Amino acid sequence: MRKIYSAIAWTVAAGVAVQAAAIAFGVGGMVHFVQEGGVVDKALIESRQLAYTGELGFWIHAIVGAGVIPLAAVALLIVAFFVRVPRARLWAAIVLGLIMAQVTLGFALRDIPYLGLIHGTNALAVLGAAAFAAVRVRQSSRATRQEAKSDAVAA
Amino acid sequence: MQSRRSLALRVLVGIAVATAVGAGALAWSSTLLGEYSVMDMGGAAVDVSGVPSEHTGHSGHTGHSAGPDTSAGAVSVTTLTADPDRPADVHAELIARQERVDVPGGHSIQGYTVNGTSPGPVIRARQGELVEVVFVNESVADGATLHWHGIDVPNSADGVAGVTQDAVPIGGRHTYRFVATDAGTYWYHSHQVSHEQVEGGLLGAVVIEPAAQPAATDVAADIVALLHVYGGQHTLNGRVGDEQVAAEPGSMVRVRVINSDQGTAAVWSAAPFRVLATDGQEVNSPTDVLHQKLLIPAGGRADVAVPAPLQGAVRLQVGGARGILVGDPTATAPRPAQPAETLDLLAYGDPAPLGFDVASPGRVYDYVISRRFGIIDGRPGNFWTINGKLFPDVPMFHVSEGDVVVMKIVNDSADVHPMHLHGHHVVVLSRDGVAASGSPWRVDSLDVHPHESYEIAFVADNPGIWADHCHTLLHAVDGLIAHVMYDGVTTPFTINGEAGNKPE
Repeated sequence: MRKIYSAIAWTVAAGVAVQAAAIAFGVGGMVHFVQEGGVVDKALIESRQLAYTGELGFWIHAIVGAGVIPLAAVALLIVAFFVRVPRARLWAAIVLGLIMAQVTLGFALRDIPYLGLIHGTNALAVLGAAAFAAVRVRQSSRATRQEAKSDAVAA
Repeated sequence: MQSRRSLALRVLVGIAVATAVGAGALAWSSTLLGEYSVMDMGGAAVDVSGVPSEHTGHSGHTGHSAGPDTSAGAVSVTTLTADPDRPADVHAELIARQERVDVPGGHSIQGYTVNGTSPGPVIRARQGELVEVVFVNESVADGATLHWHGIDVPNSADGVAGVTQDAVPIGGRHTYRFVATDAGTYWYHSHQVSHEQVEGGLLGAVVIEPAAQPAATDVAADIVALLHVYGGQHTLNGRVGDEQVAAEPGSMVRVRVINSDQGTAAVWSAAPFRVLATDGQEVNSPTDVLHQKLLIPAGGRADVAVPAPLQGAVRLQVGGARGILVGDPTATAPRPAQPAETLDLLAYGDPAPLGFDVASPGRVYDYVISRRFGIIDGRPGNFWTINGKLFPDVPMFHVSEGDVVVMKIVNDSADVHPMHLHGHHVVVLSRDGVAASGSPWRVDSLDVHPHESYEIAFVADNPGIWADHCHTLLHAVDGLIAHVMYDGVTTPFTINGEAGNKPE
């Protein structure tokens, strides 16, 4: 169970890296498209048709951000109930909480663009919390194994 | 002790998860729609006028309605037709095919054509004429229909699959007949799997000339500018490129801009232009627009007057990507910078009588748009809600013929919604509590921006069952569709049944 917990937490952390890469790919592609005389307007965006290299980045960002990562975080919290490590649930809850805030910010920043500043920064908090949750159960797992070994020798 | 408690906890969590999964599965299966009739959709919307009226019997409660007054004297939508004995003045045959669409100046895409091209041919008629269009589906696999966007047709000719007709299958045909009552710029498009078929090009323009030509004949040209994105390519009348209109200095060109896309289009110019009509309805005393852009909602139209300059040409930007050069055909004009300011149609032109009394409306409804997570037809997602309800539990707006209906459209979401009411024109009364102060602003497609609220009014003068939905068509797929239903009108058609009707 610890392995699963750790794997899911690393998935969330990797997801954040994918998000950063995808959005930079998207923005880069859009700026290039505009420089070449292309036009990005509401008609193009709502047509959901790929017009330029990099547009896929926005799609990946939406699917991973609103789908993959939140689902992984929910799974992490469920798995946490089967992991016998102190505060595994607390850290899973923290990860989920940060992600819920992140998704909310992601939807709301179209309304209030300044929220994008927090959205970008909060991503680092998600990454940190997920990586920490992943590392600490594995460390705790190694500690328990070593403890068990010494117990065996003593007995 | 520790392990027993832990075991108990695990069992408890296991039971909780199993229960949650079971309840989730049950809830999921309860969202499956199967075959249904719009007659059974949602509940009667609550008339919020607060005035007890003879209507409260069927508008004052919610719950599943079997359609009020269906027992006695029910009128089927199929009987709401133009005079069947009157011969047609304008006749056309439109053949739909699912095939590659040639996009001159760009690359072809897999889509839909009408009579071999997309956009299809322009249907032209004179006000008062009876238009008869025979629609043939040669190869559109999902079936197709034609909806006459903005034209107040009789309900049977509205072309909404599963509401006013069955989708026309391959090899099938359907005849649309209507009187072109109002002059103006309109368009036709499929209303079967519309988010795919409209995007793929099953559409064309309709121009209805006024019965009597205006006395002033300084109009050098009258052209259609239909905007559509094919496979990520912005086109003007189906071509990736600008157009040139030769016009003598000082003469005027009428440009009928049709936004057949899924999002707002901006129109602007470095020289003054005038907005002659919105959604086919004339603006009273339009004035020059300069340093402002005109926004046309998805599905909306605007007729713009562009004077030819004394020398050279002037460029009218239609949509972000395309332009029309008016004047000397040998001259060019640079793309003008997009103005930051938007023309406010709430205060454009001079006031004029509306032609009906909005002071004591027969019905007052709210149409509040929001968004939440949920499941529609077994599909989880972040869906639109109307008055807090998810599709298909959205309100049904019941009206009686002759009612003056006031509706307050509120957008509590973060997206723009181009709201389109079939079969009627609405007049804007106010926005965010500010009363309209210009020409009567009549539309059939109205952009409601995030956190805006519009008060609109219309006269219920065209019996039937009429869709009232967002024209960013994927939003309609995701639940942003309701209906205005006249008392005593029923439909024999169903959605998701044998005929495969999927209007959105």
